[in-house]
Amino acid sequence: MSGPGAALPIPPARDLPAATASSRTGRWPSGPFQVIAWLLGGLLLAFIVLPLIRLAATSSVSSLRQAAASAQIRDATLLSLQDAAITAGIATLFAVPLAYVLARHRFPGRGTIQALVDLPLAVPHTVAGIALLFLLGRTGWIGGPAGRIGISFYGSQWGIVAAMLFVSCPFAVNSARVAFEAIDPRLEQAARSLGATPWHAFRRVTLPLGLRGVLTGAVLVYARSISEFGAVVIIAYYPATAPVEIYNLFLQSGLTQSASAAVVLLIVTLATFLVLRTLASGRLLSRIDRAYT
Amino acid sequence: MPTPESGLAIRELTARAGSFIVGPVTLDVAAGRVLVILGPSGSGKTTLLTAIAGLRASLAGHVHLAGHDVTRWPPESRRIGMVFQDGALFPHLTVRENIQFGPRAAGLENVATADDLLGRLGITQLADRAPRTLSGGERQRVALARALAIRPRLLLLDEPLSALDQPTREEMRGQLRQLLAQQAIPAIHVTHDRDEALTLADDLAIIASGTIRQVGTADYVATHPVDPVAAKLLGWTELGPGLHQDKHIRTGDLTLPAPEPATGTGPVQLYYRPEDVLLHHADAPISGDSITARIRQMDMTLPLARVILDSTPALHVLALHRDIRQHALQPGAQVKAILPPHAIRIFSGEIARTSSGYDSADV
Repeated sequence: MSGPGAALPIPPARDLPAATASSRTGRWPSGPFQVIAWLLGGLLLAFIVLPLIRLAATSSVSSLRQAAASAQIRDATLLSLQDAAITAGIATLFAVPLAYVLARHRFPGRGTIQALVDLPLAVPHTVAGIALLFLLGRTGWIGGPAGRIGISFYGSQWGIVAAMLFVSCPFAVNSARVAFEAIDPRLEQAARSLGATPWHAFRRVTLPLGLRGVLTGAVLVYARSISEFGAVVIIAYYPATAPVEIYNLFLQSGLTQSASAAVVLLIVTLATFLVLRTLASGRLLSRIDRAYT
Repeated sequence: MPTPESGLAIRELTARAGSFIVGPVTLDVAAGRVLVILGPSGSGKTTLLTAIAGLRASLAGHVHLAGHDVTRWPPESRRIGMVFQDGALFPHLTVRENIQFGPRAAGLENVATADDLLGRLGITQLADRAPRTLSGGERQRVALARALAIRPRLLLLDEPLSALDQPTREEMRGQLRQLLAQQAIPAIHVTHDRDEALTLADDLAIIASGTIRQVGTADYVATHPVDPVAAKLLGWTELGPGLHQDKHIRTGDLTLPAPEPATGTGPVQLYYRPEDVLLHHADAPISGDSITARIRQMDMTLPLARVILDSTPALHVLALHRDIRQHALQPGAQVKAILPPHAIRIFSGEIARTSSGYDSADV
């Protein structure tokens, strides 16, 4: 046995191999893998942006002014904004409890419920519109009784919101569910052991921590709703939302005329979407956190 | 024995985690005493704690706390302070807000309590910090303060030190022991760490595969494990199968004294405490049973060195470095080893049951 002071043979120091270029993270791509990744991603981004740029380039400033001044287009745009906002609110109100149940509980049929939530994503929107019309129309299961108390879905704002809600609610549920799933369930357990009721634990712990996901879901619902055409046009052709109005213009006046209205709608929706997305991404979220706690 | 009117009394409690069943468990913890439940990972420690806290529905049995049957009470009504493995602090609240959470939720609001607890735990300077900025030790101190802020009837600690580095863990152990000693409430601390268990425990329970194998005073359980599982958890080393013949046990080439009060004959499993084995020079005048063997290997681990003797079966000895120097022990040297009877436990095919150190064992 070597003594406590005996020196162990130490291999001569060697320079460690420098980190390879591909293992570094930097501002610009380096290495073939990153270049290919950026190239493919760039092509996809171009595919998203180019049609919008081409659309904007089609319209002159004067034609845009004319479109913006049109009461018809203005009313349709405001209606879309209003109904998309209402839809986002309703979707969030109903989606959050369902998302919480799906995130926190394992029960028979959970997978089926999750599939049902995602169903509107797979149903063609015109099909959704027809199905909703059967349900909410004057003789439908819900539309009939609702009509007797003065609520009509066909050709009304109620119908527009219903159509928007159907096609967009998966975004609210899934976004909130993912947010709740990411929260350690022991935080709620800790809250319960400290004297919080289930509602108190949800309101003070789970909801503030999942708020970003809930708000992101609301923004996605808003964005999906404001752009909805297929389901809305079947259940409520009138009053016309912005996409329906643009379609009308396209049929009546052609591509150029409808393009100006489309750009106006694009500007308005993009502006509201960006504002809401910024809010949901956290710039003002800490203030909301404080309000909750 | 504590009664249900003073402290915690668990009777035949059974809980389920997926397909894993814990229990039935019967335990008593008197006010002011600390029961440590020692068990390997996956043995059901956390499931048992969450069932006691009411965070998991129990399948059967009862939990009596301070004279009340709280089995059907929701967790928020039980006033059981719980400290989780990594603290489970609310990340969106400051340290002070975390501590105030319980009193506010339970309607016991008293701002002075938060500051008082921060002071008692030596973390006043952390009051306005966010949990993500805290070290592991700081987080656990805050979690402890948060659990104490509701003036709990029972304190449950779910491996609160296991995620900490060694120096912090040892420092926290001391602080936790001191703090628990000041509380006039029962406490249950679960861990898989033997040293932690023996540092903190007044009473010790051994859990494995969802059942309590043994419970009693910590000193007694540590020296009188009732089965191989308990023995291994408590640091006893398996020597292998042996043959018990009245006052001796034969295993391989070794003849060892049988521990009291065991008598009889037949095959047994043999366990011993390697730190209780005494090593002497081969020429030392030793009377009584001793094992003469050469040293096969020496691992200079800390705090005790591991010396492996070239016997059959190989005897492992945990020795003080001072003794190794004093006796000039080195590999190849001939030594005499004495394995005293109190350092030996034997288990027959049917699990041996000994007194738990209580008047009646609640296992």
